[in-house]
Amino acid sequence: MSFETLVTSSLPILSLITFLPLIGALVILIVDQTKVKTIQKIGLAFSGSALLVSAIALIYFDPSRQFQFVEDYAWIPALSVRYLMGADGLSMPFVVLTTLLTFVSLIASLSIENRVKEYWFWFLLLETGMLGVFESLDFFLFYVFWEITLVPMYFLIGVWGGPKKEYAATKFFLYTLFGSVFMLLSIIGLYFASTPHTLNMLELTAQRNELLKMGMTFQVLVFLGFYLAFAIKVPLFPFHTWLPLAHVEAPTAVSVILAGVLLKMGGYGLMRVNLPMFPEATKLFIFPLVVISFINIVYGALCALAQKDMKRMVAYSSVNHMGYVGLGLASLTATGFNGAVFQMVNHGIITGSLFLLVGVIYDRAHTRDIDAFGGLGAKTPMFAGIMTLACMASLGLPGLAGFVSEFLCFLGAFGPWKIWTGLSVAGILVTAGFFLRMIQKVFLGPLNEKWAGLTDMNAREYAAVLPLAALTVILGVYPRWGLDLMNDTLTALAAFVKSGV
Amino acid sequence: MMLDLVPLLFFLPLLSFPVVLFFGRWLPLKGAGLTIAVMAGCFAWSLALLAAALLGAVELPYSFSISWFSFDIYDVALGVYLDGLTVTMLCVVTLVSLLVQIYSLGYMQGDSRFSRYYSYMTLFTASMLGLVLADNMLVLFACWELVGLCSYLLIGFWFEKPEAAQASRKAFITTKLGDLGFAIGLYVIFTHTGTFSIPSLQEMARAGFFAPGVALWSSLLLFCGAMGKSAQVPLFVWLPDAMEGPTPVSALIHAATMVAAGVFMVAKLFFLFEINPTALIVVGFIGAATAFLAALMGLVPEDIKRVLAYSTVSQLGYMMAGLAVGGPQVGSFHLVTHAMFKALLFLGAGSVIHAMHTNDIWKMGALSVRMPITFVTFAIGVLALSGIFPLSGFYSKDEILHAALNSGNWPVTILLFSTSALTAFYMTRVLVLVFLGSARDRERYGHSHESPASMTAPLVILAALSVVMGFLMHGEHVWGKLVPHKLEHEHGHVPAILVALLSSVVALSGMAAAFGVYFYRWIDAAKVKERFDVIWLFLYDRMGFDRFWLAWVKLSYKLADALAWLDYHALDQGLVDGQGSLTRQLSRASEWIDRYIIDNLVDLWGWISLWAGSRVRVTVSGFVQSYLLYVILGISLIFAARMYF
Repeated sequence: MSFETLVTSSLPILSLITFLPLIGALVILIVDQTKVKTIQKIGLAFSGSALLVSAIALIYFDPSRQFQFVEDYAWIPALSVRYLMGADGLSMPFVVLTTLLTFVSLIASLSIENRVKEYWFWFLLLETGMLGVFESLDFFLFYVFWEITLVPMYFLIGVWGGPKKEYAATKFFLYTLFGSVFMLLSIIGLYFASTPHTLNMLELTAQRNELLKMGMTFQVLVFLGFYLAFAIKVPLFPFHTWLPLAHVEAPTAVSVILAGVLLKMGGYGLMRVNLPMFPEATKLFIFPLVVISFINIVYGALCALAQKDMKRMVAYSSVNHMGYVGLGLASLTATGFNGAVFQMVNHGIITGSLFLLVGVIYDRAHTRDIDAFGGLGAKTPMFAGIMTLACMASLGLPGLAGFVSEFLCFLGAFGPWKIWTGLSVAGILVTAGFFLRMIQKVFLGPLNEKWAGLTDMNAREYAAVLPLAALTVILGVYPRWGLDLMNDTLTALAAFVKSGV
Repeated sequence: MMLDLVPLLFFLPLLSFPVVLFFGRWLPLKGAGLTIAVMAGCFAWSLALLAAALLGAVELPYSFSISWFSFDIYDVALGVYLDGLTVTMLCVVTLVSLLVQIYSLGYMQGDSRFSRYYSYMTLFTASMLGLVLADNMLVLFACWELVGLCSYLLIGFWFEKPEAAQASRKAFITTKLGDLGFAIGLYVIFTHTGTFSIPSLQEMARAGFFAPGVALWSSLLLFCGAMGKSAQVPLFVWLPDAMEGPTPVSALIHAATMVAAGVFMVAKLFFLFEINPTALIVVGFIGAATAFLAALMGLVPEDIKRVLAYSTVSQLGYMMAGLAVGGPQVGSFHLVTHAMFKALLFLGAGSVIHAMHTNDIWKMGALSVRMPITFVTFAIGVLALSGIFPLSGFYSKDEILHAALNSGNWPVTILLFSTSALTAFYMTRVLVLVFLGSARDRERYGHSHESPASMTAPLVILAALSVVMGFLMHGEHVWGKLVPHKLEHEHGHVPAILVALLSSVVALSGMAAAFGVYFYRWIDAAKVKERFDVIWLFLYDRMGFDRFWLAWVKLSYKLADALAWLDYHALDQGLVDGQGSLTRQLSRASEWIDRYIIDNLVDLWGWISLWAGSRVRVTVSGFVQSYLLYVILGISLIFAARMYF
């Protein structure tokens, strides 16, 4: 048996990726909590193996085919619940993004000294949850993984966070739970609407015309139930206010995951569930989605411009960037879909590095106030250089990852939504404004003598940031690697969605 | 072979960027050796290409591309498109870059970030060459943004100076504003045609594929980008401030190459602009207005570099107007000659600043004695810029003025002629105040000296080119062959000799007036300034354009603050947390009801049964007699009931 068949058909490769971190978490449970080094090694080993296996899966993934690495077993026959996993060009990028960002975040987490055992346990459990969301094709399974991500996040923010950590964690938890309750109702609704009753996402998508027979009210309610859960995660205006708070309070590595992966679950859900499954409701809500995306872009950017705290600023920049994603989705074109998914991946990489970099300076200065610095460019040139690179990537400079995806989002949306896209472009200018303002206030000008003793980045920080910086450049110079992975799936998806509306 | 490897012109400088940035300090001349060698190679290659093109040894236009990335059914190519204009621009960019880098060896000597300077320079040149070579709008746009980044990095090269940091941000944001239009223009074009490829678009335009409305929209939106990059009114405000960067940077980026990118873009996409005459009218008016207004503003600064900056803005407007009235052949010839003499003037100014440690022309004077090479070359630059026969500026300006007269567009023609006079005036003012007359600051004058050979050699080369270039390249056989496209006007038959005479008279009178005022002092400049201080201040204030944009910036900050306040207080604390606390109040209320009403009800039942039990208990006495009595009573009750119901 060749290695290829082993990977593509014999091994349960997706389950392996998903549950390796969980096994790691369980192993950590039996290690004595004073053995910090052992715990860290186990965590890195299991998360690293997940990354490695996902990389192997990526090599053998064939973008031109539909779902691959499928695992299908009956789980709860009475409810026709199946353990159904599979990956296509929409989920594969997110799987790899998740394993990569988690590994990088764990490297950044080596500096955590407080309650190490629990921290690593929760972090690995979180990874399993996130991976499962992107891989499961059965709503029951999907929902289980979706909710699994909530608990570790709650503890990671609530225990290892900043001064207002309990408030932030509770708010995050309640807000997200609020959304997922409605998603659960929608799932139950779908179950009873389908004949025979099923929770299989692929079957439900294929049956979308049968679902239409349930009437418009059903369409709209079920659509909104999912929308609420996903829009809170993305986050789309006006459900975004948990985000700045959660980011400010969360420890660095958790912010990376929050912005890098958790938000993407929302965008992924909209593309996997809302758009293909409910054509009539999509037709109805597509225009509001365009307006909301415009608000996300311009309003998010302006809010970011007003921030004094670097982390809050980056958090609002996420709101702004997710607006581009929304615009790409609302285009209902293959171009826009490519832009949206690619933008989500790139945003994960770029904003991940931005949060890591803000963490670098916060660890040294114990402040994130933009006005508190000045002239650091001469003192910490490497830090300044990498930060500038990440900012430039985030504001969409060509040659770096954000440019092509951002451009495709706008390009796709421009066809159907000329005016709104034209207006949204203003967000780019504001984005440039707040990033350059931060660079100027922190790195340029005369050195603020208070920080004369500041040191440049250390080896651990380089290890976490440099892979992301390298990817930023690679995906910017050669976007083909990202786009070819998803283009076939997304072209088919766009055609499918378009045929319904 | 010669053509196939053309992409290396882009990749070699690009690859030397990281090498010099990270390993520069271990390389010869701290990395400058590498970038200069690469640039010399690129220049030799470009020159060979130009020669081959003129001799007909290579077939132009030549295009070649590979796939960059694909999405949906589309494919975006990474490729080169070579025509006469492109080849000429390659020579201009590589030559000026080479000379500026050599010049910088002396100028930047001892700077603590010397290697970084050279790495930025080579990154800029790579991006600029990419912009020139691109066969595809998206790649052109990408390189367009990259040169903007390099401009940002180099304006702010001495970032410890707050003015430099501020100026770099201003340049980035202002040009970005124009680029928004550029981006939307690209969306329009792509939505309409499904391609970014310039040769394909050209074919489509030729085949009449573009409706006039689409052509107008897309060309005007693209022109927004050109207005930002090429500093047209009202987006020119960043260029005077960009002078905070090192002077060689100003020469390369903010005079000869990057700022001309807008002009180059319009020339390259002229097939789109000429579909709808309205587009050219707009370009013409904005160009002419820019030329005239900037020339007025160039009359007042005391900073030598600012004068040159306004002059650059003015000349860029000239080029735009030239494109609009005469087509690519006319507009872009001035771009080429201007690159030489403006780079020369900036490098000359740098040489003076290097010697005097000040930018203030009122603190200079009589430097022709101390710095003869700088003086002679600078004077050649002034004459060329003023358009004096037979220097290169004369030929290129003459073409533009001729086309303007022929086009019958009187406002543009008058503005351009007035600009010509003003240009001659303010450049002569600088020449006189810096090099002639008497030394006004004796101490600085005492320390002044001619610059080292690495700085004067580029001056001499550029001066020589400024003298001969127009004479050598003008006309049908050279420039006409390279850039054949020219607008023909039906009614215009103004004789060429008349235009030449007229423009010479205008330029000479401008020079004479400046000599009169600043050399012979027939009129006291200070008194004029005092008498007309309102006008003087207005010009010094950039006619309020700066304040206009600043007002917008302030407005956006206010809006941002208001929205952020709203976001936090109204949306988050108000709605979300309000909802939360409302829920908490509700739950408190229900808890109270639960505890005091529901729970007490439960207790009440217990209490009632207890009470009832205690009452009933008395009947359970344990005596058999009383139980017997209950039985009898019960039975009689049943019988009684039976009897009645």
